[in-house]
Amino acid sequence: MKKYVLLLLPLGLGLALAILWQTGLWPNPILYLRADVGTLFLILGLVGSIVCGLGLTLWTLTQTRCEEALAHSREEQADSHRRFIRRLDHELKNPLTAIRAGLANLADGGDGPILASVRAQVDRLARLSADLRKLADLETQSVEQEAVDLGQLLTELLNLAQERPEAGMRHLRLTLPQAPWPLPPVAGDRDLLFLALHNLVDNALKFSRPEDTIEIRAFEDGTAVVVEVADTGPGISEDELPHLGEELYRGTAARTVEGSGLGLALVQAIMARHHGTMAIRSRLGQGTVVALRFPMAR
Amino acid sequence: MDEQERSRRVLLVDDEEAITAHLAPFLERAGFTVAVAADGETALRRAEDFTPDLIVLDVLMPRLDGREALRRLRQSGNWTPVILLTQVGSPSERAMALDEGADDYLNKPFEPYELVARIRAVLRRSRPGVPSLAGARRLACGPLILDRQARRITLAGREVSLTAKAFSVLEFLMLHPDEVLSRERLLDAVWGWDYPAATRAVDTRIAELRRALNDDAEEPQYIETLIGQGYRFIGRVEAGT
Repeated sequence: MKKYVLLLLPLGLGLALAILWQTGLWPNPILYLRADVGTLFLILGLVGSIVCGLGLTLWTLTQTRCEEALAHSREEQADSHRRFIRRLDHELKNPLTAIRAGLANLADGGDGPILASVRAQVDRLARLSADLRKLADLETQSVEQEAVDLGQLLTELLNLAQERPEAGMRHLRLTLPQAPWPLPPVAGDRDLLFLALHNLVDNALKFSRPEDTIEIRAFEDGTAVVVEVADTGPGISEDELPHLGEELYRGTAARTVEGSGLGLALVQAIMARHHGTMAIRSRLGQGTVVALRFPMAR
Repeated sequence: MDEQERSRRVLLVDDEEAITAHLAPFLERAGFTVAVAADGETALRRAEDFTPDLIVLDVLMPRLDGREALRRLRQSGNWTPVILLTQVGSPSERAMALDEGADDYLNKPFEPYELVARIRAVLRRSRPGVPSLAGARRLACGPLILDRQARRITLAGREVSLTAKAFSVLEFLMLHPDEVLSRERLLDAVWGWDYPAATRAVDTRIAELRRALNDDAEEPQYIETLIGQGYRFIGRVEAGT
């Protein structure tokens, strides 16, 4: 709206002055200006440039202000979201502590199947609370900066994965580059990176079926070190893909699988603290690839 | 559980009635005499007239919060062992809990059995009227000196360089001498969460500590490995000034 007012402002000003002179309030002499066509065009060009310049400055000014406001509101949103997560976690803790104490009192007379199942559900809530805490912690805690050998870390992870009962029925493979040079180290917090990669492999194991293949591969493309965890599982539909990193989001496939719904959100938070990114590609019926990119120091 | 332990007095402080109502009878059945307070001010008063052997203190409370209550208790020269019940559980919060002179802390929501185990462990290592290691600025074991404020370690006068995590592991071990600490417990205390299969992270730091302290895993002077159980600090630890 302001734009159009500005546009009409010169016209309005001209009109007002014209009325003032024409009504005879002020002497209204006739000017005999003479100019050749060349000068006329020069003046017209000059006036045009000034008008365009003014317009352009105004436009960029409002544009940057808009962007700033947008970034600000986005930050505010993220902040309030974080506060919400903290509060939610906080509000879960006291009742859970009370329930556990109550259960312990009941269990003194022997732990029946009903108590055992209630206890399992309480443990599940406690895990959710712990995961929420991790997520909130990750935003603020200090992240160590040591040189992490991802190849070694992935080998360790593979050995652990192979001990799981699901692993026996799936084809698990790890590919690490050797030629012309091995994978360069990544600067970061080894424990956090382990957690992130563990979550990815855990997902691949949980959401694939027996006889599926799971490939873990790492490489470097000159700008970044990339780790990919790929599976030939059922895949994720296109409309679910954008929501996967959200807290507590559970895709249709996840409804039958145990988990807190925070695994990928944690991976994303860890990657953010390492200035890296997470990207997911998936095709329904073919499988899923999750890629973590760690930019290399120049 | 000997006869003497049966009559130990525990002051339980939490503003959540739902918690104290369930926890107090549980602790009583575990053999303790229990008194309950709902805020920091009452807790300080009860610390005088109930003379507990140990105080279980919630951090977040109305009027006087747990941390302030603990500070005032210590300032008045009362060294009754305290177990803090922390809420946020962030690494800085945990460090603060120990700095204020708490003997141990437990994150909510904890298992009541775990609380009883911690109470027994703290009572076992405490000596009445003597400040515990938890409030000490420095911990000393022979030539090994750990300065908690400066976050520095010297061995026979020479400075030992360690990563922040390894330092915290050693600090926690030295604060609990002669106690078997599982990898999970160390993870929870130093890393702040327990994540699946990350117990190897603990082993890595222990190996780093042994290298730095010239401690032989076969014939350890400081850190002993208990296969299938965890680690134990076997040296005699004294509070330094």
